[in-house]
Amino acid sequence: MNAPFPAIAAPPERVRLAGARVESASVAHFRLMVMMLLFIAATAVIAGKLAWMAVASGPAPTAASTYGLIPPRADIVDRNGVTLARTIDAWSIAVHPDKLMNPPEVVAAKLAAILPDRTEAEYLAILKSGRSFVYLKRRALPELIKQVNAIGEPAIALGREPERLYPQGNLASHVMGWLDQDGKPTSGMERVLDTRLTADHGRGRPVALSIDSRVQAALETELNAAMVKHSAIGASGLVLDVKTGEVVAMTSLPSFNPNAPSFGAVEDLANKSTLNVYELGSTFKMITMANAIESGVVTSMSHRYDATAPLQVGRFKIKDDHPQNRFLDVPEILVHSSNIGTARIADALGPERTAAFFRKLGFDAPADIELGAKGRPLWPKFWARTTTMTVAYGHGIAVTPLHLASAYAALVNGGVWRPATLLKRAPGQVPEGRRVISEATSARMRQLMRLVVMKGTGRKADAPGFRLGGKTGTAEKPRAGGYAHHSLISTFAGVFPMDAPRFVIIAMLDEPKGTADTFGYATAAWTAGPVIARTVARIGPLLGVMPSLTKDVDESELLPLLWEPKGANPNAVE
Amino acid sequence: MRDSVVPAALARLPWVLILLVVAIGSFGLVVLYSAAGGSIRPWAISQGTRFFVFLGGALVLSRVREDQIKAMAFPAYAVLVLLLLVVELFGFVGGGSQRWLDLGFIRLQPSELMKPAIVLVLARFYDLLPAGEIRRWHAIWPAALLIGVPAALVMLQPDLGTALMIVAGGLTVTFLAGVPLRLFIGGGLGVAAAAPLAWFFAMHDYQRNRVLIFLDPESDPLGTGYHISQSKIAIGSGGIFGKGFLNGTQSHLDYLPEGHTDFVFATMAEEWGMMGGLFLIAAFLAVVNWGIRVALRQEGKFARLAAAGLATTIFFYVAINLMMVMGLAPVVGIPLPLVSFGGSAMMTVLLCLGLLMAIDRNAPTAR
Repeated sequence: MNAPFPAIAAPPERVRLAGARVESASVAHFRLMVMMLLFIAATAVIAGKLAWMAVASGPAPTAASTYGLIPPRADIVDRNGVTLARTIDAWSIAVHPDKLMNPPEVVAAKLAAILPDRTEAEYLAILKSGRSFVYLKRRALPELIKQVNAIGEPAIALGREPERLYPQGNLASHVMGWLDQDGKPTSGMERVLDTRLTADHGRGRPVALSIDSRVQAALETELNAAMVKHSAIGASGLVLDVKTGEVVAMTSLPSFNPNAPSFGAVEDLANKSTLNVYELGSTFKMITMANAIESGVVTSMSHRYDATAPLQVGRFKIKDDHPQNRFLDVPEILVHSSNIGTARIADALGPERTAAFFRKLGFDAPADIELGAKGRPLWPKFWARTTTMTVAYGHGIAVTPLHLASAYAALVNGGVWRPATLLKRAPGQVPEGRRVISEATSARMRQLMRLVVMKGTGRKADAPGFRLGGKTGTAEKPRAGGYAHHSLISTFAGVFPMDAPRFVIIAMLDEPKGTADTFGYATAAWTAGPVIARTVARIGPLLGVMPSLTKDVDESELLPLLWEPKGANPNAVE
Repeated sequence: MRDSVVPAALARLPWVLILLVVAIGSFGLVVLYSAAGGSIRPWAISQGTRFFVFLGGALVLSRVREDQIKAMAFPAYAVLVLLLLVVELFGFVGGGSQRWLDLGFIRLQPSELMKPAIVLVLARFYDLLPAGEIRRWHAIWPAALLIGVPAALVMLQPDLGTALMIVAGGLTVTFLAGVPLRLFIGGGLGVAAAAPLAWFFAMHDYQRNRVLIFLDPESDPLGTGYHISQSKIAIGSGGIFGKGFLNGTQSHLDYLPEGHTDFVFATMAEEWGMMGGLFLIAAFLAVVNWGIRVALRQEGKFARLAAAGLATTIFFYVAINLMMVMGLAPVVGIPLPLVSFGGSAMMTVLLCLGLLMAIDRNAPTAR
C-alpha cells in the first residue's frame, strides 16, 4: 500500500484516482501518527517543566524566606533578637526643574497642596531655578507618592532608596545613633559598626547588641517619669552586667526619635551616660572605702572617725548633709553618708593611693566602650590635701555615669574591672579584666552597699526581695567660682541582687526639683532612689533575678555597729 | 444493547469523553471558586452555567450529519471572514485590541470561531480537490489564501496568539492532506528567514516586548515580565501537592494578574500543586487522543481531516496556554479551554468536540 504507485503502464483514470485516494489515506494516517507523537512529546516537555518548577522551587516560601534580598545595611537587633534598626525601601520625591513640562505655577500649587513642608512660593522658586535635580521629600509614604504621581508631571522623579528604620522609635536612641540624609552614620552604634553593617559578607547577618530592649524600655519609662515629676533637665540611666561588662540598658533623657528627620534640641543628642561628665558626689564614697579597706588604711569596721564637727582644712570647710555630730564607725560613715568621715579616711589614704585607685578604675580616661562620643573625665590638675579629701566623696572630679557603673561592677563582682561593651558577648568572649580589689574587700563592699539600702540613705531605692545595695550621691553642680546650691546632680548607683551580684543599675537626674511628696527634697534619696526601686522591681524578673525574702547578704557583722538613738524615727531620710 | 433500558441514542454517546470534559470543566469551576476568594461569584456561577449550556449545545451538535457539516464549511468560513472585517471596522475596543462584536446577547469574537472554521474549510477544500492534484500548485495557493486572509485580519486586531492558532490549525490540515513535506520544511526555513522582517515591520511594540521578555523574563520583573514571573512563582510555590484548596496567596493577594483567565493554570497549580497540573494535562491529552482516534477511524477524507484538525485545535489551545504560563512561550493571550473564565474559548472547544462527536457518530465503522 505504501509502495510508490507503479508506473508500468497508464492505468485507467478511475483506478489511478482510487489508488491515489488510498495512498493519501495512508499518508494521512502516517502524518497523524507523527503529529500525535509530536503532541505527546510537547506534552512531556510541558509536564516535565511543571515537575521541575514544582520540585526545584521546594516547599512553599515562608514569610521569612521571601525577604531574600540582602539589605544594603545589616539590621541591628537587641540581645534577644528584637529589631532595633532595619533598612527598608522607601520613596523619595525629587524634581528636575530644567525638564519641567507643565507650567511651574500649576505644579507649584499642586505640590504645596500635597507637601505642605514648603510654601507655594518656595516650590515655585525651586521649579523656576532651572537646576537639574532637587529633592522635595525623602522617606515618603506610598499614599503621598500616589498623590504626587497623580500630578502627572514627568519632571517629578519618584525613586526607591534604602531608608533606615528604627522600629522601636526613641528606644535606646543614643545607643543606636542615626543616619544622615546620605545614609552615612552620624553617631552611636550605627557609626561604630558602619564597616561591619555595610560589608558584603556582613550585610545579611544582623548585629546583636548587649541591650535588652525590655529592660531598656523599663528604665527609660521609670527614669522619664521621675524626670518629669521632678522637672529635671535631663537624666541618665544604665544597667550593666557586673560579670561581663555588657550594657543591658543605657539611656540619656530627653531622648530623640532617630526616625524623625528633624530632631529636638541639639543638647539632647549628646549621650549623658558616656559623653557628659558629672561630679557624682557621695557615690564615690564606696570607691574611697574600697580603696581604704584594700590598702589597709581601714583595718576594722568598728574604727571610729571624728564627725562631731565640720572639718576645717585650710580655708575649706567640709560639712555633712546629715550631721550626726559624733564619732562614726565605717558602716555609719556610709549609712549616714558622712563627708567628714570619708574625708578623714581619704586624708589617711593620701593623694597617691587615691589617684592610683581612680586610674585603676579608668577615671583618668574616656569610658572604655565602643561608642565614639566619649567624654574625658575632669581629672584634678593639682592634688592638694583638700583635693584628696573632696574627690573621696565625689567633688572635684567629674566622670561619666558609665565610669561609675564600671567601677561599681568591679567593687562587687569579686574585684575585677572590665571594659563595658554594647555588643552581646558570648561566654568565651568576656575579657579577663584587671583586678582592682581583693575578693575579700569586694565581699565587704557588698555588705556595706546592702547596709546603706537597708538602714541608710538608700532606703527609698530598695526593691523588696531583690536584695538591692548601693549608694546615693547628691552633688551640687559646679558654677563659675563655686557651686550652685540648688542645681543638683542626684545619682543612685545600685547593685542587685547583692548576695550574688549580677547587675549594676545607675539612675542620675540632672537638676531635679523637690515636690510636695518629697517634702521639697531633690536629693538622690528622694529622686533617683525611687527610680531604682521601681525599675529593679520591673527588670529583675526579665533578667532572671527572682525576688526572694529569704536570701540576703549576711549583715550580722555590721548591724551591731550601727548606733541608733532611742525613740528616733528609723525612717527619717534626707 | 437493544434490551438495555438506556435508549440507544444515549448509549451511543461517547461517555468517556463526556466524563473527561465534565471533569476538566468542574475542576475549572473549583479553581474559579477559589480564585474569587472562596465565592461562586463573580466567576464560578456564570462559568458553570455557560459550561453546561455549551456542553448541551455540543451534544445537540453531535446529532448533525457529516454532509451538513460539509455543506456548512464554506458558508461559515465566508461569514466569519466577513465578521472579521466588520470587527476590524466597528469592533468593540477591549483589552487594547479590537476583538469583540457586541451582538447584544453575546459578545461575539469571530476570530475564536475562525479556529474550527479554518479546519473545516480546508478539510472541505482538500476533500473537493482530486486526489492526484495534491502535489500540484493549485493544492497550495487556495489553502494559503484561505489561511492567510483570516490570519491577516486577526493579526490586524492585533491578536498574535489567535492568528498563530489559525495558521497552525490550517497548516495541520494541509500537512495531513498530504501536501509534500518539502513545502513545510521549506516554509519553516522561510519563516525563520522572515522572522527578522516580521520583527521590524509586522509586530507591535507590545508584542516585541513580550518576545523579548519571554527570552529573558527577569529583565522586566515589574513590567511586562510581571505576568510570567508571578505565574512561575505561583506554580513553583505550589510544589508537588500544592498549598491546598483556598490557600493560594499569589492569586488571592492579587500578585498574579489574570489569575482567573489566561493564567488560571498558575492559580490552580499553586493550590493543587504538580499533581493538579498533571491531572489537567493528562485529561486534556486524553481528550486530544480521543479526537485523533476519531480521525484515524474515518475513511472519508473530509471527516478524517476535519477530525484531526479539530483535535489539533484543542491541543494547540492547551499547549500554547500551558507553555505561556510556564514561561516556555511568549504571553500571547490564549486561555486554557474549559478552565479559564470566559465564554469564547469554551464555546470554541465545545464546538470542536460537538463536531468531533458528530463525525464519530457518522463514521460507518463507529461502534
